[in-house]
Amino acid sequence: MLYRIRHTTEYVYHSRVSHCYNMAHVTPRDTLRQQCLSTRVDVLPGAAFTSNRCDYFGNNAYHFEIQKPHKKLVITSTSEVRTNLQKAAPELELGISCRDAREAMSSSRAPEVLLAREFLLDSPMLKASQTLKEYADSLFDDNTPLLTAVMNLTSKIYQEFEYSPASTTIATPLQEVLESRRGVCQDFAHLQIAILRSLGFAARYVSGYLETLPPPGQEKMVGADATHAWLAVYAPGEGWFEYDPTNNCMAHEQHIVTAWGRDFYDVTPLCGVIYGGGSNPVLRVAVDVTRLT
Amino acid sequence: MSQTMSQASGPDSDDLIYRHNPALQDEAVDANGELRPHWSYLLDSLKELGPALFDERQSKALRILRDDGATYNIYSDSSTPSHTWNMDLVPYVIGSEEWGRIEAGLLERAELFNLLLRDLYGNRELIRSGVIPPDALFCHRGFLRACNGIKLPGEHDLILHSVDLVRGADGQMMAMGDRAQSPSGAGYSLENRNVMSRVFPSLFRDSHVHRLAAFFQRLRTKLNSLSPNSAPRVAVMTPGAHNETYFEHAYLANYLGFHLVQSDDLVVRNGFLWMKSLDGLSRVDVLLRRVDDWFCDPVELRGDSRLGVANLLEVVRAGNVVVANPLGSGILENPVFLRYLPGIAKHFLGRELRLPSVETHWCGREDDRAYVLDHLHELVVKPVYRNLDNRSLYGPELSAEEARSLKARIEADPTQYVAQPVMEAAHVPSFVDGVLKPRPVILRSFAVATDTSYTVMPGGLTRIGQDERSFMISNQTGAKSKDTWVIASEPERMVHDEQVDEPVSREADLISLPSRVVENLFWMGRYAERAEAALRILRTAFMMLNGEERISDITQHQLLHAVSMITATPSRSTDEQTAEEALRGIIENGSVLRSISGNLNAMLYCAEETKELLSSDTYRVINDIRDALNMLGVSFSGSLASAPEEALDPLVTALMALSGLTQESMIRGFGWRFMDMGRRLERGYQIAIAIDSLIVPVLSESDQSKLCEALLLSLEALISYRRRYRARVGIQTSLDLVMMDPTNPRSLMYQVEQLRQHIGALPKTPTQMHELSADERRILECETLLKLSSLAELSKADGFQRSHLGEQMTKIADQLSGLSEMITDKYFDHREASQQLVNSTWESI
Repeated sequence: MLYRIRHTTEYVYHSRVSHCYNMAHVTPRDTLRQQCLSTRVDVLPGAAFTSNRCDYFGNNAYHFEIQKPHKKLVITSTSEVRTNLQKAAPELELGISCRDAREAMSSSRAPEVLLAREFLLDSPMLKASQTLKEYADSLFDDNTPLLTAVMNLTSKIYQEFEYSPASTTIATPLQEVLESRRGVCQDFAHLQIAILRSLGFAARYVSGYLETLPPPGQEKMVGADATHAWLAVYAPGEGWFEYDPTNNCMAHEQHIVTAWGRDFYDVTPLCGVIYGGGSNPVLRVAVDVTRLT
Repeated sequence: MSQTMSQASGPDSDDLIYRHNPALQDEAVDANGELRPHWSYLLDSLKELGPALFDERQSKALRILRDDGATYNIYSDSSTPSHTWNMDLVPYVIGSEEWGRIEAGLLERAELFNLLLRDLYGNRELIRSGVIPPDALFCHRGFLRACNGIKLPGEHDLILHSVDLVRGADGQMMAMGDRAQSPSGAGYSLENRNVMSRVFPSLFRDSHVHRLAAFFQRLRTKLNSLSPNSAPRVAVMTPGAHNETYFEHAYLANYLGFHLVQSDDLVVRNGFLWMKSLDGLSRVDVLLRRVDDWFCDPVELRGDSRLGVANLLEVVRAGNVVVANPLGSGILENPVFLRYLPGIAKHFLGRELRLPSVETHWCGREDDRAYVLDHLHELVVKPVYRNLDNRSLYGPELSAEEARSLKARIEADPTQYVAQPVMEAAHVPSFVDGVLKPRPVILRSFAVATDTSYTVMPGGLTRIGQDERSFMISNQTGAKSKDTWVIASEPERMVHDEQVDEPVSREADLISLPSRVVENLFWMGRYAERAEAALRILRTAFMMLNGEERISDITQHQLLHAVSMITATPSRSTDEQTAEEALRGIIENGSVLRSISGNLNAMLYCAEETKELLSSDTYRVINDIRDALNMLGVSFSGSLASAPEEALDPLVTALMALSGLTQESMIRGFGWRFMDMGRRLERGYQIAIAIDSLIVPVLSESDQSKLCEALLLSLEALISYRRRYRARVGIQTSLDLVMMDPTNPRSLMYQVEQLRQHIGALPKTPTQMHELSADERRILECETLLKLSSLAELSKADGFQRSHLGEQMTKIADQLSGLSEMITDKYFDHREASQQLVNSTWESI
C-alpha cells in the first residue's frame, strides 16, 4: 500500500519563546515491511539550523533550532510510505512454544536473542511486576505457541479495557491504568509490553499512524487520523511481530511505523528546551493518512 | 641505620619515628621488620627532622594550600562548604622497578577500556558474542543510548582513564575500580606536589622523584590535537563553584591555559558550540568535561539539568566540538565489567590483564547473588551506578536489621548491585598526633591518551584512611591525601624534549572572557567598594564620637544618619536615645555588621566564581578578608567599650590590599576594566550619598566644620585638606577636594572621569552611525553636570538645607545607578529561564 502522511504538531505558547532547541521523531522509518520513499519536515517560524540522524534504535530523529522569537511553533512532516503485510507469521500453531521461548530468552547465546533482551528489561517508564505477570499468566501455558498466546493477550486487553481518549495523559502509571481499566492506545501498548516483560518475553513500543476508513458512502475528513501506538514482541528464532491491542489485531498494511523503542520515552514525538514561553502551552496534533494506491 | 620502633633501640624523644604495626601489611617495612630500601632515605630524613619541625612544615603546608585556595567541598556539610584540602606531608614512596610493573599494567588496562568503550557504543560485539551478559550493559543507567556511535578523532576515544589501586594480601597491586567519566584528582596531585616541593625542597630534590609536568603537557597536547581547528580553543567545563572539586577545575584550567566555563557561559548556535563573551560569541573546539555526561544536554539527556548545554550532543555528533572524556564514557565505571574483565581482555587482547582486579560478584547472576547473600558480612556491597545517595555498604559493620534491609534491596533489584571482598589495604607511614603511624592507603592513577598509546602520571593521588582500620577511603568521608613519589633509579631525562609545536592561542582570546566571569568581576568591585565605604563611615563615626572634642547632639544625629544611609540600615534613634546609643544599638543588634558582612560575602562569592583569574597573592588577601570577616562579630562586641574602630582596621587594610593588588597585578584587559568600573561606580555613588547626608543640612559653623571633617576623614582626604588649607574646615574647600578635584582618587570627579574612559574603551557593535550609545551619553551627562557646577552656588544655604547641593547629589547618584543597569543589560548575559517542552521526569535506565 502506498500512503502519503502529513503530521502536524502545533504549540501555542502563552508568552514569547525567544529561542528553542527541539528533537522530533515524526518521520516514518524503514522496517522489514515498510519503506519510506520521501519525506520532508517544515518548521514555522523558520529554523535557523536543522539536522537529521538515525538514532540508537534506527529511528529518524530530526533536530532543529529556532532563533526567532515566536508564540506559535508548527512542525509539519510529510512523507510517502509503502507498506506491506508483516512477514507471514509462522502458522500460529506451529511456532515456538511459550516454554521454549521463555527458555531461549533466559539462556540462549544467539546474538539476536542477546540483543533482544534489551527489550525484556525494565525501561524508563515501564517496570515488570508480579501483578502484571499474574494478569496474563494463564494465557501463556508452556505448550501454547507464543504468538497465539500474545494474540490472546491482545484480545484480553481489548475486551477488558475501555478506550477512553480523555482518560489519561502520557504519564499515567500502569498501575492506574490497570485499576481504572481504561486508557488510550499508548496505555494499552505500554500495558501489554510490561505484561510480556513480566512474563519473561521481550517487547518493544511502536509509534506510528493508522489509516482509518470513513463509514461507507462518506468522504474522509481531513485530519481525522491520529498518531497511534502498538507493540512488537520477539519470538526467539522467528523475529518480531506487531500487535495492536487497541484494535484487537496484528498490525497490517494500514499500520505505518514512525519509530520504536523500549517505551514512549525513547520515541517522544517532540521534545526539547525552550526559553520563555510561560506555562501550559496549548498542543494540537493533526494527522492525515491518504492512500495513494 | 634503618630501624623502626619494633626494634627496641630506645629512640631519642626528639626523633620522628615510624611505629609500624607488625600485624599489618606495610609499604615501608617488610615482613622481617626491616625498612624497605626505597623508604629509608625519606624516613631517616624525617627522623632527623623531628616532630616539632615536622609540625612546623605541616603548618606551612596548610598555609600554602589555603593561599592557593585548595578546597574540597563535602556535600553533606552545607554549613561550611569549603574545606581546605586535607594533606599529609609524608609522601607515599614507590620504587621505580615496581612502578614499572604497575605502569605497564595501567597502560594495558587503559587500552583495554578504550576498546571496551568503542565496542559498547559501536558494534556491541561483546554482547553479541556473549562475553558480557546483555543485562550488565542494558540495565546500567550509565549506558547513554543517545551517545551511540560517537567517535573521537585519533586512535583513542577514552582520553583520561583513572584506576583506584590497592595492594592485596598477596602483595600484588590490584584495581578496585575505574574512573572514566571525568576522573578527578590529577589537579590535586599536582597541588600536593607543589606543596611538597616547596615545604621540603632539599628532601624532594635529593630523592629523585619523577616529575609530573610531562603528564600535563601531554594532556594539553592531546586536547589541542582533538580540535578540528588549527588554532583550537579548549575550555574546561565545570558544574560551578559549588562542586566538590571546583578548586581542581579552576587549578587545571589555569595550569593548562584553558578557559574555565560553566553551563551559562556556553551556547549552541547553528551547529557549533560558542562561549559567550563581551565581544560576542567565540567558538569552542574542545571541552574537557568535569560535568557528568548525563547532565550535559537537556535536550537528549537529563531534561531538567541546569549544568549542560542544550543541543550539545548534536554538535558533538557533527564533529564540531570534541568532548573529553566523550559523552557516555561513564558506562566504563560500571563495576559489573570487573566481573567479566578477564573474558573482555581475552576477547580484545588474547590474554588476561597483567594488572588484576579485585574479585567482584554481580548479583545479576544467580550463583553470584546466592554467594553474596550468604557472605554479606565479609563483603563490601556497591551499587553499580554511583551517586550521592547510593553509597557502598561495608558488610562487617551492618547491624542485623541493616543486613536484612540490604538483602531485600538486592533481591528486589539484583542487577543493580555488586560485591567485593573487604580489602585489607597495605599501610603507609603517616603523621598522626606527633608520630608516624601506619594508615591504609589507596592510590588513584591517571592515564592520558597520546597519539599512539597512553601516558601514565608517575604516581597519582594517594589517599589514606582516617584510622588504622578504616576501609572507606574517599574524600567524601574526609580522608587525607599525600603526594606520591616514584623514585627514579637513574637521573630523569629533562622534559623539554616534549616541546611539540603547540598552537598559540588566538589574539582574540585575550578579550574573550566568559561574560559571567566579567559580570562577577564587576560586582566584586562594587561589593568591595560598598563594604569599604561602610567600614570607613563607621570608623569615622566612632572616632568622632569618642574624640577629645565633645560634639553636639545635632552633629551626632547627622553622623548616625550618614552611617545608616551608607550602610543601608534603618536607624531608630528615638528621643530618649543619644545618637551614640542609637549607633551602638544598630551595631549591637547586628544590622550594620550584617550589612557589611553581607556585602563582603557577596564579594567573596564573586571571587570564587572568578577564581581562575585571581593570582595567588590575590587569593591570599581574599583569605585574609574571609578570616577578618569571621572574626568581625567577636572582636567588635569585645571592644565596644574602648576604641571599637580598631576592630574594623584589619578589614579595611585587607580591602585596601585587594584593591592595590588588582591595580598593580591585573592585566589591563576587559576583566580589570569591568572590576574597576564596578569600583568607580560604587565609590562615586557612595561619595554622593556621603555629601548628601553630611553637608546638605545647614548647621552652626562649628558643627558644620565637624561634619566636613567627618566627610573628609571617611574619604581619606583630611590630611590632604589640612596640608592644602591649614585652616578650619569649610564647606566650599571640602567640596572642592571631594567633588571637583580630578587629582584626588577619592573625589567624585575622578570616579566619573575614569568611568568615561572605561566606557569609551569597551567593545562596540560596529555601526555606521555617529550617535553616542546610551551608556556613553549617560556618563557624559554626569561628567558635564559635575564640571559645570559652581561651588559657591552649591554651598549656598536655602533655609535649613543646601537644596541645590542636595538635588545635584541625588541626581548624580541616580545617574550612576542607572549607568550600572545599562552596563549590566548591555554586556552581561541575561538569558530567559529555560524549560522542557515536554516534562519528562523519567530517569534513564
